[in-house]
Parts: sequence; structure tokens; C-alpha cells
Amino acid sequence: MTDAWTPRIVVFQCQFALFSAAEQEWMDTQLPPHIKLIKVPCSGRISPMFLLNAIQGGVDGVLINGCVPGKCHFKEGNLAAHRRLDEFRRLLTYLGMEQDRVRFAWIDVGERGRIRRELAGFEATLRELGESRRLVTRVPLAV
Amino acid sequence: MDELAQAIRAEAARLLAEDVVDVVIGFQAGSLALRPQPAFFTDASGVDTLIYNGFCQNNLATYLARRSREERVGIVCRGCESRAIRVLVSEHRHDREGLYLIGIPCEGIIDWRKAEREAGLGPGGFAEVLSVSEQGDEVLLSTRRGEYRLQRERVLHDSCKRCAYPDPVGTDITLGEPAGADAREPRWGLVDAFEALSPEERYQSFVQEAERCIRCYACREACPMCYCTECFVDYTTPRWAESMITPSGTHAWHIIRAFHQTGRCASCGACERACPMDIKMTYLTDKLDRDMLEQYDYEVGAAEGAPPPFATFTLDDQDQFVR
Amino acid sequence: MIKILPKADLATTIDQWRVEATVYAPVRQEEVVGFQPLTGSGNGCFTLDANSRYPPKSLFLPQSEALFRVAGSDLEPVEGDLSERIVFGIRPCDARACQLLDGVFAGTEYTDPYWSEKRRHTTLVALGCTDPCETCFCTAVGSGPFDSRGADVMLTDIGEVYVAQADTAQGEALLSRLQDASQEQIDASSQAQAEARAAMARPFELDGIRETLYGLFDDEFWYDVQQPCLGCGVCTFLCPTCHCFDIVDEAQRGERVRNWDTCMFQIYSQEASGHNPRPTNVERTRQRIMHKYAYFGELYDEVGCTGCGRCVRYCPAGIDMRQIIRSSQSRG
Repeated sequence: MTDAWTPRIVVFQCQFALFSAAEQEWMDTQLPPHIKLIKVPCSGRISPMFLLNAIQGGVDGVLINGCVPGKCHFKEGNLAAHRRLDEFRRLLTYLGMEQDRVRFAWIDVGERGRIRRELAGFEATLRELGESRRLVTRVPLAV
Repeated sequence: MDELAQAIRAEAARLLAEDVVDVVIGFQAGSLALRPQPAFFTDASGVDTLIYNGFCQNNLATYLARRSREERVGIVCRGCESRAIRVLVSEHRHDREGLYLIGIPCEGIIDWRKAEREAGLGPGGFAEVLSVSEQGDEVLLSTRRGEYRLQRERVLHDSCKRCAYPDPVGTDITLGEPAGADAREPRWGLVDAFEALSPEERYQSFVQEAERCIRCYACREACPMCYCTECFVDYTTPRWAESMITPSGTHAWHIIRAFHQTGRCASCGACERACPMDIKMTYLTDKLDRDMLEQYDYEVGAAEGAPPPFATFTLDDQDQFVR
Repeated sequence: MIKILPKADLATTIDQWRVEATVYAPVRQEEVVGFQPLTGSGNGCFTLDANSRYPPKSLFLPQSEALFRVAGSDLEPVEGDLSERIVFGIRPCDARACQLLDGVFAGTEYTDPYWSEKRRHTTLVALGCTDPCETCFCTAVGSGPFDSRGADVMLTDIGEVYVAQADTAQGEALLSRLQDASQEQIDASSQAQAEARAAMARPFELDGIRETLYGLFDDEFWYDVQQPCLGCGVCTFLCPTCHCFDIVDEAQRGERVRNWDTCMFQIYSQEASGHNPRPTNVERTRQRIMHKYAYFGELYDEVGCTGCGRCVRYCPAGIDMRQIIRSSQSRG
């Protein structure tokens, strides 16, 4: 197994979703260079257009992190995100994108270390899938 | 068909004479028999030019957004138009009180391009047709050179063949006899066929359709559900859809426009009829509509005032993706 | 110079042309005909029975064209395609339209290098229309099914052969290897041309059209005309004489690009302040018609329309440009 290729990942992270300040500090400073972090005030802010922009820019995987149902800081933002983003992933899959390139991690604040496990798991999945080739039509995003 | 046109005229005249509405939106003959035009009647004495036939291909509900908010509007509507209007009302785009729906059961819209081909009329030949007549299963075209008898089934627009709701809903009056809900082809046939392809085939199919797109936005303008005063395609910061006719911009255009119709699209097919490049789009919106039905039991325009699926959510939403 | 191009020799002739140039011709893909570069020359490679939907002006004014790229803090020019091209099977209306646009892009005061370079490297071999369509109205706008203005070569189909007339040095160079046409053949082609012209109905006469339209400027006429109009870009994008463009900086891509624009879009004249001098479809539709039939004439002393009929065919709302001109004349 060679390390010739590392999957490029974009994480849309809800600013309230993580367990602790320490964990957030890890996200802010310790992420490897092939993972780009974009923080949003709520997963409900994530528009399908963010996902499409990332996929078209050649990103190999998009991880969406938000709070579990019932725990949204803004009450229902995560529920709106659920429906929209789930359906948008269905649409992209319908058009040929591998479904596993978009992963959802709805995390409860009590789940210590969850985000790191999700990222590790996601990276492993993406290595299996290989480089993203479909819908990659924009100038590559700098990740 | 002529009886129906007479009935529509009578009702339009009545509405205007009795000052129930300020304008009635319907169709009139254009300069070419196969291309009736949307028409706007403001005077009872002017409704003699109102026509209705299977070549009336525009979804009239798209004109509601172009009228002034103060106007009381009467509108001729078939199944798809009436369902689109229901969604528009539930989105508070229009006040139901300001609308008078003249319901017409629909036997399907005829695709004039198919008719031209079926009759072997050659390029531009559709313009030679002087008059049309619809008699049951047949469509008769009269030109200077002769008559052409076509099978209606063979020249119907694709969306109409799959239509499950030809009868209008939520109307103030319904004219004519109900058409009945037996779709000629399976409602989700297009989606099933597409899903049967491999991911690579689906992707290539999408790319091929999108390749011809010239970003004229006729699909958007013909669609009653596209009424944003600022379309996402014109945003520059960030540029969601590149302005050029490149795969990137065009893919984003088709994907996002379709997605904006999720749970809103009445499957009328006006988008495809408007497209000058024969691009297929309903395979996208049909998929989204079916998903809404399967996931959230939501049927576009089925119930008055039903909240749109993307504006509602419950804690019970299925946890397929919550882990 | 008048030569003969036998249909039996068409493939070999095109092959000869393809040695020195890329040959474009109308190609049918399912039901859509468009100008494409030929990869072969046999009978099935192109179609001459219908005009393209998308206008061939795109060969000189591409719908999207990168003007320069940004690399770091440098600007890199984009190399245009300046290879030799021959466009075979372009119709007189479209060739004439390119000539009209030369007035805009290669006029006396200013030369657009992107347009002009492509024009210089391209030869237009037009196919005259022996069987004009019902939606064609070139004769009403001062042109005709065999109007050779704008074409380097005009082909007239007289059965087994095309009679090929070259009106420019570029055209003559292309035909030099062909046989001269006989007087009989020349007469047959004149006959075919006259018959085609005579067969065309003229939906209107353009005398005094500018005055008529100016006279209607503030009239309710435009409100009536625009009511069914959806405000899309079909008529403008398919039009061979429309030429408005928008220059855009695509930041994520690092390019400045020029795209076709349409006066029918709401934001076409919208200013940065938010003010829009053409705020409703009334002003925009009025502008569209008047640009074609009045303003263009003021600038270039020509009608800005060549009667190709695409707007009539493809308007999704069934609006007929010919009908609008007729109505303006009965109203005015």
C-alpha cells in the first residue's frame, strides 16, 4: 500500500457540536493539511451549493458535522439540514457520485473524540473509493 | 375541444363582466396554428379570441409572478398548473383570495416538434400548418399541401405521458369532463430507467444532456416555481455556478435548479418544452418528487395548504443517516 | 468566378479542404443540428437539410471566451484558436449576419481583435436555400435565400451539382481546382435562385419602420407585445445578429471572460446603484425590437435582422417577431 495519494477532505463543522474546547482546539490547529475545516454557526447554514462547490472543485470527500436531533443550539437548524442535505446527497448519487463521498456526523456533545474517529473512518473509506472523478469540473480548490 | 373553449370563453366573459377578476389568463391563437400564445384578457368583449387546444404548451401559472400584486387574476388551469398554484399559495407567493381558478381537465399537451416530425413536414414545416383539429385519439393537421392525421399517443409531450394528475385541483370552477388519472406510462418510469443505469452511465448521460445547454434560462422563466427576483445563478460572491457555458457552470445550473424544485415541482414539463436545445430535465425533478413521496409522504399539490417538505421537519425524521 | 462542385465529388473536395483547414459543417445529433468540426467527409458526416439551431456567429464570437488569466500577480493572455477554418453549409442569413457584425466588431473606429482574427482565418462556403422554410423572412429584411453578401462562396443546388460562385479572394482560392461552370449550369442556378425568392412570402415591408417604431415609443403597444414574453434568452442567443456581451471576472477560476448577454434579462442594464433604466419587460421588449429594426439602422444603416426565423421557431411563448413588426405598422 503506497501513500502516493491522500484524499482531500472538506469538513463543514457546526461550531457547537464538539465535546470540549480542547477538541475544538485540535480541530482548529491539528488537522492534517489534506483536511480543510470550514466552521458554520449551525449545520442548518450548510447549503447544498457548498457541497456542490466542493465536489466540483475536486474534493474527494465532504464531512458534514452537526448536532443530534433535539440538541441544536438554534433548536431546529440541524433538522432542516437533515432533510436538505440528505436529499441533496441522494441527487448527487443519482447523477453518479459515490454516495460515501458525503458523510454525515451528527454528534452529541457528550461524544468525546467522535469527530476524530469519524475523520479517520472517512479517510479510510475514501482511500478505498479513490480519487473523485465525476462532477469534477472546476479549477481545483486549494485544500 | 371546441366546446371546452366555448365554455372557457363564457366563464372568462362572466368573470370580467361581473368584475370578479381584473384579468383572465388563457390562450389565444398566435400567428402559427401549432403555437398558441398565452393571452391576457381584461375586457369581457375581448374574450372571443380565447382558444384552447392540445397545443397550448405553456404553464400559465408562471405568469402570476409577472402580474401586479393588486390584480385579481382569473387563470385557466389544467392539472399541473393547479397543483403548481397550490404550492405557490402555500409558499405565500400569492394570496388564494386574489385568484380564480378555471379548471380544465387535460388530455395531455402535444409536442409541436414531434408533430412536425411525425407528419414528415421537414424543417420549419410546423409553420405550414393552417389549422388543427383533435378528434379522440387523432390529431389532424391541415396545411396547404394536404392533411396529416397523427396518433395523439405518438405526439404527446413526454411529461404528459407520465402524468398522474390531469384533473385540476382546488379550482373555483371546473369545466368539461374529468380526464381520469390513468397515466399512459408509469409515473416514475423515467426515474426507474435512469436508476437502472450504472453510476458511470448515469453521470455520462447527465453530462451529455447538459452539454447542449446555452444558459438561456428559458426553463427557469417557463417554470411557475422559479420566481426569485435574484436567481442563484447570478450570485458572484461566491460564484456558485460559473457564468460560462462550461460543464462546471452548466452542471451547477441544472443540479441546483432541479434541487430548488424539490417538493415543489408539479411535473408539468414546461421546462423541457421551453428548451430550444431539446434538453431533458424532468428525470431530475421526478427523482426528487418521488423521494419526497417515499421519505416524507409528500405529494406536490395534493393538499391545500400542505407545508412544503423542506420547510418542515420533525424529530421523527428517519434516522438513516444519524449515527 | 463561377465553378461546379459535383455532389459526387463533395467528399473528396472536403477532404482536400481538411488538409489545410478545419472544416465545420452542420451536424445532426438526434434532432439538434449544430455546426461542428468534421472528422470525416462522407455523406453521413453532415446534414444539409436544415439550418443549425445555435447560430454560427459563435465561431467568431464564442458564447464564452476567456480574455486573460490571472497567475499570481501576472496576467496571462489566452491564446485564441487562430487555425484556418472553412465553414461549409452556412446559410446566407447567417453569413450576412456575420458581415453585419463586422460593422460592430471591425468597424472604422474600433477593431475587436478576438472577432477579427477569427474572421480573417475563416472562409464561409454558404449554401443558398432552394427550399426556404415557412418561418424564413430574409426577403422582407433586404436579404434573400441567395444573398451572397458575407459569404466567400455561394453554392446553388441545381440537382447533380452545386454551382459555386466565389465573390472574394479567399473564396476563389478555395474553388481554384474546380471546373468552370457552363452557361447552362449558370442559367439553371439563376433559375433556382429566382424560384426560391419568388416562393417566399413577405410578411411585411420595411419602409418607414424606424419612424413607425419611434412614433410608438411611449405607446401601450409595447405593453401588449410583452405580455406573453417570458424574458428568457432564447431569441437573443439563437439570433445570428445579436452581439451583446458581458465581461465577468470569474474569481474562483482566475479568468476574465466574455459571455453573451441578453437585453431580455432583468439584470441586463441594472446598475451598481440598484437603479435599472429598463425596469420592466415593457422597456426591455421595446428595446429588443427597436435595436433590431431602428437603432442598428441608425448606427450601421442596415436592418439588424437577416430573417433567419429562429426566434419565430423557438420562442417558448409562441411570440412571432414578424407579427410584432406587422402590428407596429398597423398601429403606428
